Amino acid sequence: MAVEKDLKAILRNLKYSDDAKVLAQISENTKLVHARMAGITHKLVVMSGKGGVGKSMTTVNLALAFARQGAKVGLLDVDLNGPCVPRMLGLHGQSLTMTPEGAIPPVGPLGMKVASMDFFLDDASPVRWKGPMDVSPVWLGLMEMNVIREFLADVVWGELDYLLVDLPPGAAADKPPVIAGFIPDLAGAIVVTTPSEVASDVVQKSVTYARDIGIKVMGMVENMSEYRCPSCGEVNELFEGNTEAMCEILDLPLLGRIPFDRKLARTFDKGEPLLDETYPTIQRYQEIAGRIRTLIDYKKVLADKL
Amino acid sequence: MKFVCLNCETYMNFEKVEKPGEGTLGVFFGCPSCNAKFSMVTNPGETQMVSSLGVKLGGRTVEAEPFEMTRGTLKDEALTGPSQMAAYLNEKIQGGQPAVAAATAPPAAKPGEKSSSGCPFSAMVAEMGLTSSGKPDNAGAALSEFAWSPDAKEKLDRLPSFVKPMVQSSVEAYARKQGYKTITLQVMDDSKNDSSNGTSWTPEAEKRLENIPDFIRPMARKEVERVAKERGMATITAQVMDDVKEKFLKFM
Repeated sequence: MAVEKDLKAILRNLKYSDDAKVLAQISENTKLVHARMAGITHKLVVMSGKGGVGKSMTTVNLALAFARQGAKVGLLDVDLNGPCVPRMLGLHGQSLTMTPEGAIPPVGPLGMKVASMDFFLDDASPVRWKGPMDVSPVWLGLMEMNVIREFLADVVWGELDYLLVDLPPGAAADKPPVIAGFIPDLAGAIVVTTPSEVASDVVQKSVTYARDIGIKVMGMVENMSEYRCPSCGEVNELFEGNTEAMCEILDLPLLGRIPFDRKLARTFDKGEPLLDETYPTIQRYQEIAGRIRTLIDYKKVLADKL
Repeated sequence: MKFVCLNCETYMNFEKVEKPGEGTLGVFFGCPSCNAKFSMVTNPGETQMVSSLGVKLGGRTVEAEPFEMTRGTLKDEALTGPSQMAAYLNEKIQGGQPAVAAATAPPAAKPGEKSSSGCPFSAMVAEMGLTSSGKPDNAGAALSEFAWSPDAKEKLDRLPSFVKPMVQSSVEAYARKQGYKTITLQVMDDSKNDSSNGTSWTPEAEKRLENIPDFIRPMARKEVERVAKERGMATITAQVMDDVKEKFLKFM
């Protein structure tokens, strides 16, 4: 009869070695992300717990605002299943150029570099993965996180002042805060909400979760604050909420309010974004970008002005 | 994943990987002491889980190409019929027999259980504390020992439901401390500037705080109060402001 072995005692005397080189490769992959991100001064993610609040519109316009202020800007759209940034910027149909040094991103308006899952998809094609586990949620989660890792490690961004990352919607135990955690030296997260109470409720949960995992939440942007009539210019409220009070409770600065602007939205829908910096809604994005810069330089501002 | 040779009480060494069939891997291990060999064979699902880590078992022999995994795994066209893994399981477990379709009818409500109307919005409305008319349900409002002026009450009622109790309690705590019986808009505004840790500010320090852009002023106020608390000071003076300024100059 075989002698019973005590596995715990055996393992105590053994030294682990990574002879299949799995850990070494995972560590190498992480180093690649760090190396690629090293040329980027400020990395910001734009997130929200709620879908449909206008994260992509906000991300794109903030990126354009930074570019308009003379900064070198990159925009990474990691909403893998609903990528829309290329279409908004008139880049739909273009693709990343694969080179031995990495993937060169297309350049959009105001010299902005853009990477998105959309560049891998045909018109009207959803993201579909091949293989035996194509419908397994566990595998899909793992797969998507590694696709995002490839976006961070393989795109040749070069030297940038700002990289803005448009995260997919989702609140707590979901991808967005985890994706943000992938990005080395992240300056922080900009949270987008609408004044709707339902949106506020979900958004505050995502702020709490992001903070729990150590992401610095920089401030809140209230989108769809009001509706500006394209005919008469009259402005009316769309929701009866109070984002200011939510920011107070969450101890977050309200970075600005953006009206629902049909004229501006249409230009992005057509892929011919309005770039006129004198346009009132664009001016609001410019102000928010200025406030984000102040927040990034928070310590300097306090040292200078106090 | 490691394997232990129980005879020799040592880890077995990874030796090589082979592909014995489509979608499967044979991973070979050998005991460095007794030279025993064995191979672990993965099913297609396990194979794909490993490849999704972005690693090659045994290490890479050629450099990874940009977006190697993304491009290699994106499906060109939709598969028709069941997925490969489902087909594999069907083959291995049910011998290729079609599985019995799951009942699609929703389960009946248990006796005594209130049956749902199925309307997703009614649950949402209830969660928001609204009545069927869309107006807030007063049952959600906390009873108050204070009289609220109509405009202050209206401002409070416009807050999101999860914020309202916190604001109400904070304003009332301030009013209690000040000996007020009625809460007006002015009291609400003043309560915002009330320091919860009992710190007071000299006019000169308050004036200097106004140099900070208004949207980050509350953050700056907290930072100054934190430094004062660390130093055991109950009043924010120009000296405390200088100390905070000095602290941040060190980061420049």
